[in-house]
Order: sequence, then C-alpha cells, then structure tokens
Amino acid sequence: MAQFRLQDGKVLAVDLTGDAVRAKNGSMIAYEGDMTFKKLTGGGDGLRGMVTRRLTGEQLEVMEVKGHGTCYFADAAGDVSLVTLQQDTLHVEASNLLCTAGGLRTGTTFTGLRGASQGNGLFTTTVEGTGQAALTSQGPAIVLRVTPQTPLRVDPGAYLAHSGRLRQEFQSGVTFRTLLGDGSGEAFQIRFEGEGLVYVQPSERETLGGQV
Amino acid sequence: MNGPVVFDAHTLPANDNVHAYAFSVDLDGQWFLQKGKMIAYFGDIRFDGIGHGPLDHLVARSFHSPLHAADWVVAQGRGKLLLADRAFDVNSFDLDQGNLTIRSGNLLAFEESLSLKQSIIPGFVTLIGTGKFVAASNGEVHFVEPPIRVDPQALVGWADCPSPCHHYDHGYLRGFLGGLRAMTGVGGASGEEHQFEFTGAGTVLLQSSETVMPEQPVGGTPAGGGTPGGGPGASGGLGGLGGLARWAERSG
Repeated sequence: MAQFRLQDGKVLAVDLTGDAVRAKNGSMIAYEGDMTFKKLTGGGDGLRGMVTRRLTGEQLEVMEVKGHGTCYFADAAGDVSLVTLQQDTLHVEASNLLCTAGGLRTGTTFTGLRGASQGNGLFTTTVEGTGQAALTSQGPAIVLRVTPQTPLRVDPGAYLAHSGRLRQEFQSGVTFRTLLGDGSGEAFQIRFEGEGLVYVQPSERETLGGQV
Repeated sequence: MNGPVVFDAHTLPANDNVHAYAFSVDLDGQWFLQKGKMIAYFGDIRFDGIGHGPLDHLVARSFHSPLHAADWVVAQGRGKLLLADRAFDVNSFDLDQGNLTIRSGNLLAFEESLSLKQSIIPGFVTLIGTGKFVAASNGEVHFVEPPIRVDPQALVGWADCPSPCHHYDHGYLRGFLGGLRAMTGVGGASGEEHQFEFTGAGTVLLQSSETVMPEQPVGGTPAGGGTPGGGPGASGGLGGLGGLARWAERSG
C-alpha cells in the first residue's frame, strides 16, 4: 500500500513497496530506490475514459509510477494537501490533482455552468474509491466543512476540490450594474449544500468571471 | 496521517488569520472589500458595488475616493468571510484614532468605522479613524522607524508620520561622463538610485520582496491647481512615481 506523506508543505513523499501510484506528468523531483515511470494515455481512465477526456477537454496528463522506495513529487512550488478517501468520491480540478494511489479510480463528470465561469471547461475530474490522494494549490489549502445548516459559497477561482454528499449550484448575480462596471466583483459563486468537505486555496485563478 | 485542519462555520477564527495567507472576518454588519478578494463564506452575506443606491449614506461617511470606487464593494450581512489575495501574506491591523497610508493594491478590506481617503501620493490611500483593516504583502511585513530611505517597490505603507519625499542618488551624474550617462542612458544604472525618504516620528511598513500589486488605471484625480497627479494627462501616473521618476527611468 502506497504511503503518502508531506515532506514539507510543498513536497509530497510517497513510499512504495512494489505498488503503483498515478501522478501528474513530470511532477517527480527525486526518488530513492527503483522506480519506473510510464506515461498513461488519456488520464489512465481506460479507452472509454480516454475518449471522454478528449471530448470534454478535461485533460489529465498522468504517469504511472511503480517500484520500491520513496518518490518525491512537487508542482511549481505549489502547496500540497493530502486527502484520504474511504469509499468516497473527490471532485477536483484536473490541474490541481498531483497524485492518486493506485487503488483509486479517476473519471470525468459534468459540472454545469461552474466550469464555464472558471475557464476550466464544463467538466471536472473525479477520484473514487479508498486510498490517498494529493492536491496541489497556490497557497496552503483551507478545508471547510459544510453541514445542512451551514451552506457554503465559494469563489470559482479559489475552488479546488470537494468530497462528501454535496450538491453544488452555480449562482450568478449579474445585474445591469455589472454591465456598467459597478459590479460586486463576486458575481459568480458556487453554493455547496449538504454534508461534506470543500477545499479552497488562498488565491484565485484567472477566471472568465473573475473581474465582474 | 497529517491531514489538514478542517474548519466549519463555527470553528473558523473570528477576525483572525486562518493561516498566514487567509483571513477570516466574523461579519456582523458591513465591511469594505477590494473586489475579488473573497474566496469563500458561510452565512448570509451580500456584495454590492459602491454605487449601490442604499449604500449612499455609508459611502458618504466612510469612502472618499471616487478614483478607487470601481475596485471596492461593500459586504453586508452575517457570517464568516474568508479573504485572500494570490497566496500573499495577509495581516490585520488595528487603528486607534490613527491614520495609516497604504498602497491601494495592498489593502484588502476595512471596517466601516474607518474612513478611506485618497492619499496625495498617487497610488496610495489613507485610512483614518478607529477600526480594523486587512492588508496583503508579498512576504512578511516589517515595521521600521524613520529616518529611513526605502525602495519604492518594497514600501507597503506608513502610519503617523509625514508623507515621504523622493530621494535621488545623483552621485553617478557627476562629471562629463556622468552627464553623458544621464543624457543618453548609456552606461546603465544600479536600479537603486531612487528611494522614498521618510523623516519624523511614526512607523513605516515594508514587505520583504519587491513585487507590487498591479495598479489599475481608473482615471485621474480631479483637475485643479495644486493637486498632485491631477490635471490632464495625469491618469497614467497612478502606480508610478510622477514625472520625475519617469525622467529618472529614462535617463537611468
């Protein structure tokens, strides 16, 4: 079983004993022991997933890392967060997914309008099963728990990932004032309701709706 | 297992940092925010542009900068509001019957009990009164006391001391060759010939890098005699240092 740990805030260390993990292409920075790196075509989702990814534009460039020893991963000095899944589904932006344990399945789902406002496409990546995954973000991620009594609203540019039984709804507060340039700057929000965790980063991606 | 801390609506800090790069406001009333700095919130909060009619009274009391109005919004309601800016360091400061001038791009949010005015130094705003504000800096903020000369890009703001003046090291201009260099720019410069000079009593805030927030060109100060940065053609000088600095850059 692959063991994920944080070397420091920005480097992920994975201990492997003959098993495999999937990591963002080119994110290996060093390793100890014997490792093999194999590029997986189409995000490693199999033939059907490959076609879906090509069609949806939710590109996930991954490689399979297999071997004995410790492998270190990092991406553009981004901060790394660990997520442990127990028969759960994590929804994550493909660009923020650093590494997943071999036992986890990845796929693509439709997110609706939220993706459009982010400029990330209409689809998002899902990670399912039991095991560990690592996210990368610009600035240390903040994990927020959503309960039925306390729904959460998130700026699309700061959204990283979510898990649990959450409904997400895209909210737009675009009014004639937005068009006049006197908008609130927060016209686009994602509303999360239900029970689960939402990961946000302390910075905002450049988004289509970011300035209105 | 070293998983991250999970916050919910009740365990989020009240008016304190979540970590070095994010700040949680316990909102009950109104705060001014710079546009696009909200990353998430719990509760019932609405965001309105400064020009929103019902806010007229508040804006008349606390916001005196038509120049920056397009960059600011008012958050009102109840809840926990998370603020962050490009993973820069975020800190809150309290003013007690004081005044503080800060680069406009560094100020993220302030309480409505403070009042924001445009500094006569282009690109800076002044907060006056009593209350809390949140500011971002690239790297930690350092507090130093005048007299001091600082690099313009490392300057975050200053409190309770007279506004700075420009200082130029013109030693390199001496003599025939120096004159030639000044006239033609041939020979180069170290890039540190120009500083801001502070004198008097007070505190100067510096950041430990020279990355400044991009300034948005949002029009000029009112054209009137004696208004720095005012008048026709002055709108480009917002983030800059005025004509003198541009002259220095050309010659340097």
